Amino acid sequence: MKGLHYQLKSVLHDKFCLMSFLLPLVVAAALNTVGMMDFSSLGELHFGILEHDLPGQTITWLEQYGPVTAYPTQKDLEDAIKEPSTNLIGVKADGKAIRTILSGDELDLFRQTADTLPALYEQRELSRQAEICVLERPDVMAKFHEMFLVVTLIVAMFMGCTFNAMNMISEKEDGVALINEILPMTARQYALQKLAIGFVLGCLSAIFTAAICFRLPPVKAALLLALIVLSSFVSALIGLLIGRISDTLMVGVIYIKLVLLVFMAVPILSFLVGIRNPLVQSICYFVPSQATFEGIMDLANGGTATAIRDGVILAGHCAGWFLLYLLLSKRKRMHASLT
Amino acid sequence: MRHFRSLLKKDIRLLVSGKFFLMSLGCLILYTLYVNFGYLRFVNAQLYNVYLYDPVGTQAAVSELMQRVSSAEELDMALREDTNGVGIDAGTGTVRILMYEGTEHADRHRADYALSLLRPAEHGAAETIGSNTPEQKARKEITCELLFFEITAVGFLGMASVLFKEKSMGIIRVHAILPLQKNLFVLSKLVIFLLSDLLFAVLLSSLNAGLPDTIALLPAILLQTTFLSLIMALAGLICSLLLKDFRQFTLAYLVLAVFVATPVFLSANTAVKLDWIRFHPFYHLYMGLKHAYFQTSTPGPSYCLGCAAAIASLFAAVQVLFLREMRKEI
Repeated sequence: MKGLHYQLKSVLHDKFCLMSFLLPLVVAAALNTVGMMDFSSLGELHFGILEHDLPGQTITWLEQYGPVTAYPTQKDLEDAIKEPSTNLIGVKADGKAIRTILSGDELDLFRQTADTLPALYEQRELSRQAEICVLERPDVMAKFHEMFLVVTLIVAMFMGCTFNAMNMISEKEDGVALINEILPMTARQYALQKLAIGFVLGCLSAIFTAAICFRLPPVKAALLLALIVLSSFVSALIGLLIGRISDTLMVGVIYIKLVLLVFMAVPILSFLVGIRNPLVQSICYFVPSQATFEGIMDLANGGTATAIRDGVILAGHCAGWFLLYLLLSKRKRMHASLT
Repeated sequence: MRHFRSLLKKDIRLLVSGKFFLMSLGCLILYTLYVNFGYLRFVNAQLYNVYLYDPVGTQAAVSELMQRVSSAEELDMALREDTNGVGIDAGTGTVRILMYEGTEHADRHRADYALSLLRPAEHGAAETIGSNTPEQKARKEITCELLFFEITAVGFLGMASVLFKEKSMGIIRVHAILPLQKNLFVLSKLVIFLLSDLLFAVLLSSLNAGLPDTIALLPAILLQTTFLSLIMALAGLICSLLLKDFRQFTLAYLVLAVFVATPVFLSANTAVKLDWIRFHPFYHLYMGLKHAYFQTSTPGPSYCLGCAAAIASLFAAVQVLFLREMRKEI
């Protein structure tokens, strides 16, 4: 217990660890209070016209489909169309009709819209003869907002690996690791203490983040807590492994970044792409954060079945990573006794 | 010159032993795989599908872009699966348009577009004035982003790791008493990082942006890479001279990565335009690189002069800090 006290003290003195602890909290608070940026303009159509080229009613007609910007010269208009970050459709008068201009690198949606716009213009008088029934759908952005919150939570949980890995590496660099070898402390005690640090801090960071992000009924909150505990344990184990294999801080930072990148990228990509292939799905589950992500998303959407299944998968991960660690330390001991 | 050569040799050895080149090679392979097998598949947005339910055949001539469904349930199902789609229900005699809510403007366009398919008209193709295909655009865009990221983040980190290693090995102290010109120490590092960044830019562009395109664009890309590489290497040196250890440096790096890069990428690549972004120096550097890839405009003399001035003042700052560091060491 006393050892753990010292370990915690040394981690709390480390600004890097403190920052890792606070970063997810700050991001979660920002996501919650500021809300999402308005991305709804991204899928909208934008039109560019020449000043004094189109009659007023044509401009009004265009404006019902999307914002219209007028450019003073032909060159300005062409530059705006060619600008790669936007999908501006140029519209010019062509006798009584209109014609459209594109840069040619737009996605299909904008190309086809530009292709069909003149025909739509010709039929503009006929258009409104149908009853239009707009069905409500949940806000598309809300889904992404939720995804960002869950990813922040995952970062908080898997930050657990930062605490013990950084702590172990800096001990190696400062020579404390050598002193530890002559202290009356077994390798197992050392590993357990480090594991406890990553686990406790990862858990705390994730619980605070979850408290900021989610409001759940007690049963689901308990399930969420279980998922957090299991994920933090896995990440603490991974941190222990990183701490073991990296000798310098630079290498450690790279490993941690790689792990975080994979842990964030796999669930995000599988969420965005919507993987249906069962083989690819099960491969994704080899990354522990995938199970966490799916589980929390399920809880946030009101379900519990997937969350329970994912909890079991995470427990499997805990056992697997723990065995891997034991195997590696046994190997090292054998290696040490041989030399 | 001889001194400079031996300094260069020392720096190269340091970088090799720090696995810097290996890391760059790893990044190159990772990026190339990502661009060729991942990124290009995600970038696609189809025009809305239009589903028609017309059991009695009231609509005679409909466009071939229309997809017919056989029952009202099937229409509902199709719309639920494809929420951007538009359904036309002609089962009751009158035409009724069904769709899930999007944005106001887009909804109007979707409805009118769907109706226009009931009256197929001859439509030509839009005039094309640009030179890139959608795939070329996607390739150039992602290559530009990756190159910018690699130089700003990884180059910055690499420079710091070398300097901190030298600090810990006492090389700066040794250097203080050597009869060498003091700026050679900084110059040799800049030269190596610049050369490795240039090589990286050439390889990354030709592997990902398409070889024929790259050959024509290379001079402009290399000019921008030179500016960016020198500025980032000098900024990395300043940070590592000012900060106590690598740990503090990683914090600076985190701030740089999150708060500096995100708004720049957002403004430069999407239609989200932030008003204050023109005061962000990295925005101009990024746009310079982007213009080089897309040949949208050549860098003006004021931009080049600005970059040169930034490099010169950063270099002067590094000199001052470096001399201070050496005085501290003695």
